[in-house]
Amino acid sequence: MSAIRWLIKCGAAAAIVLIACGFATVRFGSGLQMPATTTRDGTLITLSRYLREPVPDIVLLGSSITFRLKEEYFATRGLRNLALAGGSPVTGLEIVANQPRLPQYILIEANVLARPTDATLVERYSRGETEPFFFRPVRAAVAAYEQRLHAPLTHEQVAFDLRRLVGQPPGDFDNRIYVDRALQQFNAEDPADAARLNAKRIGELIGQVEQRGARVFLFELPYAEPIEGSRFAATTREIIHAAFPDSKRWLSIEVDRSDLRWADGVHLDERSAVIVTQAMERALASARATK
Amino acid sequence: MTFTSWQFGVFAATVFAAYYLPALRSFQVQLLVFASLFFYGYGQPDLLALLAVAVFGTYLFLILALRNRQVWLPVGIAFNLALLAFFKYKLLFIDPASPSLVDFAPLDFLLKLPLPIGISFFVFHNISLLVDLTRQKAAPPTLAGVFLYIIFFPQLVSGPITRAEMFMPQIKPKYFADVPFVEAAKWILTGFFFKLYVANNLNEMTSYMSFPLYETLQTQDRWLLVFLYSYQIYADFFGYSAIAIGLGLLFGYRLPINFNRPYISISFSEFWTRWHISLSTWLRTYLYVPLGGNRHGLWRTYLNLMIVMGLGGLWHGAGVGYLMWGLLHGLLLVLERPLLARLASIDFAMFRAARMTVVFLCVSMLWIFFKLPNFHHAVGYLTGMFTPSTNPNPTKLFYSLALLYSLPVMIQHLGFRPLFEGRLRRAEPYLYGSMAALMYLEAGPETSFIYFQF
Repeated sequence: MSAIRWLIKCGAAAAIVLIACGFATVRFGSGLQMPATTTRDGTLITLSRYLREPVPDIVLLGSSITFRLKEEYFATRGLRNLALAGGSPVTGLEIVANQPRLPQYILIEANVLARPTDATLVERYSRGETEPFFFRPVRAAVAAYEQRLHAPLTHEQVAFDLRRLVGQPPGDFDNRIYVDRALQQFNAEDPADAARLNAKRIGELIGQVEQRGARVFLFELPYAEPIEGSRFAATTREIIHAAFPDSKRWLSIEVDRSDLRWADGVHLDERSAVIVTQAMERALASARATK
Repeated sequence: MTFTSWQFGVFAATVFAAYYLPALRSFQVQLLVFASLFFYGYGQPDLLALLAVAVFGTYLFLILALRNRQVWLPVGIAFNLALLAFFKYKLLFIDPASPSLVDFAPLDFLLKLPLPIGISFFVFHNISLLVDLTRQKAAPPTLAGVFLYIIFFPQLVSGPITRAEMFMPQIKPKYFADVPFVEAAKWILTGFFFKLYVANNLNEMTSYMSFPLYETLQTQDRWLLVFLYSYQIYADFFGYSAIAIGLGLLFGYRLPINFNRPYISISFSEFWTRWHISLSTWLRTYLYVPLGGNRHGLWRTYLNLMIVMGLGGLWHGAGVGYLMWGLLHGLLLVLERPLLARLASIDFAMFRAARMTVVFLCVSMLWIFFKLPNFHHAVGYLTGMFTPSTNPNPTKLFYSLALLYSLPVMIQHLGFRPLFEGRLRRAEPYLYGSMAALMYLEAGPETSFIYFQF
């Protein structure tokens, strides 16, 4: 076989596979929830879904701390968790604010305000271009397989398990070395400048979205006791409360702290995340009632 | 400029187009030298001078050694080893972030220079040049020829480490009609496929092996990731070497094969004849044999193996982890050596499969020292492989994705090549075409080649 014929056949095969994938993308592309292998991947999936599906009533924005509050933990219908693991709540707020339609309630986590806004992500999702031209065939096949085996859960499907989980005693995972490490990091970092900037930007964006009819609440998730006193946590808390002193702006999450456990002093374990979720729902219901 | 960037595609296409112009035929070597300097300078322009010093210095010592080998060959080798030692191992003794390291400004400037890309590879080329050409008592090569051998861009950054006696005779006029396009296309497509589809996708998963992320892994996932990293490092380095071989062919140069299905080895000594072949050949030729090899008794042979593997480990990087990796491989070679003859006499399939598994398992476990060069982190990871995980929020890995991204390495190792050279020969171009499409569609996030850091 001559080299030219070989190369033509090779090129033709590549073209056929590409065209087939292009057609498949048009046909199935938006229907599959691609599996994420990293938190960044998971972020993109969550944001793509937010833009693709009808606007929910409530959105949660935050960092990896809020990321742990899974949507199926909430009994409230029409809630989306857009927290970005490794990201800033301001990134999520910018994206939500740039959409033509807004949710009724926007809940913003105020624990981590030292991270800069991810401008690339904001630009990408503000343009509304979420679907690639070709989908990834292997990921799509795995997505189909995963959806078949593990379809996304609803609250009703897990309600019994959640009740049983909350009914169990708190976990006994020994997290001391992780708390010590997190405390070291939280004391080493001075978040003041970044937090001030982010608090100011949050204020501007709140003004914009509330003018368009949405209602915004801030909330703080609990840390383990030693972390609460760290420089990072204390400085952030002081700055954000100074920027938003009105107590009606805040969702008060009332839980028995002795009942909570953290994987590393910062991120709640599953049982504690469910308990906090329930407290948030109570606080939100009370805030909605006092319009 | 990495092989997977569009800038490299434009660069390679431009050089290829100019290379075979009849008007430039007399300047092919010079053109490749110029292109290689551009390629190197594109990433690290401030280190071009160092590259020039290495090549000019080696050329000077070569000319002198061709007159008096006994005196000038050791000096030339020492010059190159000193370059390697200075740039690669200075970080063991200094902190480059310090505002001033020494009071002498020129030395301070040199100490703060970053690690030159590819220094481990071009220093080995230089030593090979000095040893091979002075042994053959050959006529002195041209300066352009020496430049080309040392800095030929496909092999400059991460090899294969070509021996001078193999490369230098290939320096002659090249003709477009002689280019083996299909063979080059197969190497290049295979290389890109292994890098983009396998290595880059597996890298997303094996990034969880980093400290402290690995603490979120379940015990079984730690094991899985060790094997995935084993596949990833193979796909990454095999991919690079395959692209280099394919590019070499496009310019009329045949570079040595660097991998031969290493994970089917049934002994550690066999593994080193299949993994990074050009490095193990170099170490055997220029280090193990001159040290005495196996000619001075059993214990001296063991000592030589440990020295060669220990230095081979340190060649990869200045760190206890790399040294440990090399020494442990040396230890495995020493331990199996007295048993090899007895093991070879037991020849049935199950036993061979068991030996293959043991070798793969040990080699994979030792890659942990590569992935985690910090010795304490590596030991922490290893310890976690043998203790149950209690983390309440473990990382979730998709086993189906892991399997699908590893599959090409497994299939390649199962040895289907003869099938495509025989009955399925007609399907071959379609297979390569599908691979090209798949590597575009399913490419993992861009990451640099693992061996670039060496």
